[in-house]
Amino acid sequence: MTKLAFATIKELKEKLENKEISHEELLDFFLKRFEDFDEKIDSALEIFDKKSILEHYSAEGSLCGIPGIFKDNICQEERIVSCASKILENFRSTYDATTTRRMKSAGALILGRANCDEFAMGSSTETSAYKKTKNPWDYSRVPGGSSGGSAAAVAAGLVPWSLGSDTGASVRQPAAFCGIVGIKPTYGLVSRYGLIAYASSLDQVGVLSRTVYDNALVFSTIAGHDMQDSSSLFVNKKDYTANLTGKLKEDLRIGVIEDALTAQGMDNEIASSVQNAVGVLEKLGAKVKKVSMPILDYSAAAYFVISRAEAASNLARFDGVRYGFRAKDSHTLHEMYLNTRHDGFGQEVKTRIMVGNYVLSAGHAGQFYKNAKKVQRLIRSEFKNVFNDVDLLIMPTHPMAAFKIGAFDQDKLQMDLQDYFTCPMNLAGIPAISIPCGFTKEKLPIGFQIIGPHLSEELIFQTAHAYEQETPWHTMHPAGF
Amino acid sequence: MIKISKEEVLKIAEITRVSLHEDEIEPMIKHLEGVLSYAERVKEIAADIDEPSNKNVNVFREDVVVKTDSEKILAQAPERDDNYFVVPVIIEK
Repeated sequence: MTKLAFATIKELKEKLENKEISHEELLDFFLKRFEDFDEKIDSALEIFDKKSILEHYSAEGSLCGIPGIFKDNICQEERIVSCASKILENFRSTYDATTTRRMKSAGALILGRANCDEFAMGSSTETSAYKKTKNPWDYSRVPGGSSGGSAAAVAAGLVPWSLGSDTGASVRQPAAFCGIVGIKPTYGLVSRYGLIAYASSLDQVGVLSRTVYDNALVFSTIAGHDMQDSSSLFVNKKDYTANLTGKLKEDLRIGVIEDALTAQGMDNEIASSVQNAVGVLEKLGAKVKKVSMPILDYSAAAYFVISRAEAASNLARFDGVRYGFRAKDSHTLHEMYLNTRHDGFGQEVKTRIMVGNYVLSAGHAGQFYKNAKKVQRLIRSEFKNVFNDVDLLIMPTHPMAAFKIGAFDQDKLQMDLQDYFTCPMNLAGIPAISIPCGFTKEKLPIGFQIIGPHLSEELIFQTAHAYEQETPWHTMHPAGF
Repeated sequence: MIKISKEEVLKIAEITRVSLHEDEIEPMIKHLEGVLSYAERVKEIAADIDEPSNKNVNVFREDVVVKTDSEKILAQAPERDDNYFVVPVIIEK
């Protein structure tokens, strides 16, 4: 039955349409996968019961009967949504996020809630208040983060797709660490209504899957304008699989970001894997040139400031008054706030919102926040300039393969600095996909990013798909599942 | 290198509405100093930047009443009385 476990959505759809298997049998199969294998990797915080999953089944739609899992920060009506935090441990959403509603009406079956870093703050899924998810390729290593549970479940063949969210790396980096495909869309292309905010001007919901086609298929379901998100772009729904011909766009011009390949801490194995990927694209007909973007050296700093500032503001609402956890035995309201937030938030969340309030506070806002916003504008305009010369950009997703659990316990800053490779796209609001491009000697997956200008998702998917068809990486799965 | 005093970190904790226990103060100072000293580099190049900021646009919608079941929301309150959220005393006598 491993064939079914690692089947693509495309193949599963054919099996359902040909009545080789019923949607209920398929659901049973994947529920059993979680029962049998999730104890190895701890990807899920909760798997729902079969009956309640089937309540939302609709016999129509592009993803009819196809099971998947949601990151624990996307609202599903009447289900708990905790952001992997103690402060929301019993919080039940009273409505569906737009992405949830769209997936349900496409007939997709949502099996549960995937583990993540608390409030999506982290790069390893270690800050979850509940459990540490393991990398399916090596259980002593992290799956990446913050959407680590979403990535691990898909890589281990427990579901064919999952949704995550990406504020600085959180879909692409775990996808790379787990050897799968993950997209961070153009800001505003996927609705944030019902996505619990970390940094609202950077957050986007993204798709994780094992193939580019599957990714584009799920993406087609969730992308497009939504009235309920005022930052949503006026873009109509599209079929993002339409261009996946296996060929590149004619005269495609690709820029390879040199600064990233020679960045401090860049692992040689990863750099050469990405170089090989560029070679494949060149063979397929792309015109490749090197580009330099020294401004990227400032992106992590700008990202730290802007994301923490927005987090401080967004997380002010968790106060123990209306929902979620409230600390007991407080004498005054003020004391109740202090104790609830002290006991309800984990260490990483507390430090990030402290940093946020510092950079926003009187006397420091000019030095930090305003300057960071200036740097963000410069990053945007530099990307714009580069895209006058090339259609797409390429850079690694990460400087090192999945690291050991606990490796950065003593120096979180070193882990956060790896956002260098991914956060510039969030700051610029542009789309990027991470796809597998090989393995290290230790058999750990390597990923690289294809980056495009605003709303270039079709070109990104087309290029990623053409690359994928030439390479074996998407057919390789971790042992033991 | 940015230096943060104990007084300053306690002030930020107060703004953040989060208590800091005595043994948490020193590690928090260290962490803030590390991140902020790194983040400070935005200042280096920002002085030379003259990029106009993006124009913000307002997105309006009709102000219509949407019926919601308030019971579902109130049911999640840590403490309630009828249609009210109950909190500890606000001003001590």
